[in-house]
Amino acid sequence: MSLLSVTRSILYGGKNNLQKIEVINLLLQQNTSVLTGGTGGGATTRNMSRMKKTRPFWQPKSTRTLYPEELTPSNEAFGSEVISDQHTSSSTTSPLKCEPWPRGVWSEASMRCGVIARKIGVYPMWDNNGRRLLTTLLEVPDNEVVKYIPPEKLLEHTHPKKNNNTHTKEMAALVVGADPIDPRLVTKEYYGVFADSGLLPKKKLTKFLITPDAKLPPGTPLYASHYRPGQYVDVLGTTIDRGFQGVMKRWLFKGMPATHGVTKSHRRPGNIGSGGEKARVLPGQKMPGHMGNKKRILRGLKIWRVNTKYNVMWVQGPAIPGATGSYVYVYDSWYHHCRHTPDNPPPFPTFFQDEEEGVEEEMYHPDLHVFSKPSIAFNEK
Amino acid sequence: MALQTSGRRMLLGLVSQSCHHVRGKHHKQALTNAGVQKKRMNLFSKEAERQAALVTDVEKIEVQYQGQPEDCTLIMNKNISTPYNCAQHITQMIMDRSVLAEVDGQVWDMHRPLEDNCSLRFLHFKQSDPYYANKAFWRSASVMLGAVLESTFKDNIYVELCSYPSPNVRTGSFVYDVDLKIPTWTPTKEELRTLSGEMVKLAMAGHRFQRLEVDASLALKMFEDNHYKTLQIPHIAAQSSTGNTVVLYQIGNFLEISRGPMIANTNFLGKVSVMAVHPIQTNQGQLFRIQGVALPKGIMLNHFTYGILEKRAAELNAGRIPVINKDNLQPTKAAEALST
Repeated sequence: MSLLSVTRSILYGGKNNLQKIEVINLLLQQNTSVLTGGTGGGATTRNMSRMKKTRPFWQPKSTRTLYPEELTPSNEAFGSEVISDQHTSSSTTSPLKCEPWPRGVWSEASMRCGVIARKIGVYPMWDNNGRRLLTTLLEVPDNEVVKYIPPEKLLEHTHPKKNNNTHTKEMAALVVGADPIDPRLVTKEYYGVFADSGLLPKKKLTKFLITPDAKLPPGTPLYASHYRPGQYVDVLGTTIDRGFQGVMKRWLFKGMPATHGVTKSHRRPGNIGSGGEKARVLPGQKMPGHMGNKKRILRGLKIWRVNTKYNVMWVQGPAIPGATGSYVYVYDSWYHHCRHTPDNPPPFPTFFQDEEEGVEEEMYHPDLHVFSKPSIAFNEK
Repeated sequence: MALQTSGRRMLLGLVSQSCHHVRGKHHKQALTNAGVQKKRMNLFSKEAERQAALVTDVEKIEVQYQGQPEDCTLIMNKNISTPYNCAQHITQMIMDRSVLAEVDGQVWDMHRPLEDNCSLRFLHFKQSDPYYANKAFWRSASVMLGAVLESTFKDNIYVELCSYPSPNVRTGSFVYDVDLKIPTWTPTKEELRTLSGEMVKLAMAGHRFQRLEVDASLALKMFEDNHYKTLQIPHIAAQSSTGNTVVLYQIGNFLEISRGPMIANTNFLGKVSVMAVHPIQTNQGQLFRIQGVALPKGIMLNHFTYGILEKRAAELNAGRIPVINKDNLQPTKAAEALST
């Protein structure tokens, strides 16, 4: 039994990254108990792979137990009136944008923030050659920058790296929120996160790592026009929860024939041993179990179309992780062949749609066939 | 000559240092709220014992109770049993939720002994029209604020409580006017939070509002160290039914003069926030108006809507500013007449 075979089976076993690190650490310490499958290693591994929910430092607990408040209808209506008075046209008239923040200039090393989008459906489109392609519609609902985390603060809350690489970029972060929620339904601490920027609390919050030149002041709205047709994005979503699934669906096992004498083994995994000297089931053996409800990133997806009125973008492919209506996080693509080049830089740090005049409602990729445009031209002889 | 006069002045100065006046000055410097409270409580407990000892025979009275779970007649002890004792005979729920009693149509404190055969109802916060309970709550909150103010300041600051305007929920806050003898005070958020915390502690201590009717002369003796109260007592006594008694309420170590009924216990106070301190000018100098807002225990409200109430409570309360005058000082009585 070699170290390499053990680590490979664990690494491709599809388990938690923490388990991977645990194994590597133990191997570095030359602890043989893991290799021989000792009880100490097994118990630690089991605890490490249990999904633990820890909230990030910039996001306090948002939900609270709702209790009947027995307010009169007129009092409740008054509360709603106060909320709407405080937050009329929050996107354009933020009270705290007194000093405009300097807007950075894009360079190849810059990283700008992403958006929180909601998957609203899948639709076919046709290119100019008549080829059909499927696109997923992602709506960008009321995104606003909630907080800017400068590099020093971010470093405080980052785990120190083992190798002190001096060439790592100085990174900042932007906390972006989507979809406002009634402030009466959330905790006071969560409401306090938005108090500085004067925003209504948001249903969804996330942190985007950026380079400091891409910083935006709290209260800045983000629209679908942050992205343009022709750009490539990475989309992070939570896959559909499929529950406890068998090996055929979960690991794409072939199964066994339905007839020809096969006894009670049509969808079963079959043999699970490697035989011979190993004389055990290797860690990472693919078996039935829980499938789905995991964060997955789909990279290098092309944007075909952007609608600025409804804030929707059409993204390549039908396979964005998650069900229709679920939230996804959209980033500029990380693939080298998909990155921005100096000839077509992205709107940086974002596209300030409120300041621009005459923004097109529909933006199409040049290769896309647009049904609303006239397709046949008759030349007068 | 100049030297001689200065020498004479110096001699006089030396003499004055051993003067009785200076001894009195030392006595005044030693005046602390804790010491004054202790003295008052001694006199109060002695009087309470004396009044309790006056009831020698245990006579029975019939109390007609009307309300949940069913109307009934209770046989109680005259001048000993209180409406709270009646509630103890009924159910736990009635005992816990009753804030005020209604005896023969008149609002009555829960821990005030019943004097004769009567009809009895209980008032609580969640009934359809909790007008009297609400008024009593606001009044009690003012008194509790006074209690907190008397015990929260440093020993070198002698706090003299002046008065509080009659409870008016529409003003948005309950109030106590106090003389701190410092020219300015803009409290920080932490200081206001500390005061609110002290209110919460007082509420959690669960003190009963114990009522006692005392003679005006005894009241004057108890409050001799507070010149505002000393001016108020004769007028209050004159308005009483007997002509020379004053009603006192005790919460723990604190004593307050007030006519109106109070809630049964400090633990009826739920969410409370001391919101602002505004300086007010009276005819006899500056006082500080301390303002707060509170909800009764059991009334649940989300942080946002409560925040609207808090913001309102921070604005200067429009209640009557006390007039401190030897001839015409009736802040509590006149304002109460206005408020009905």
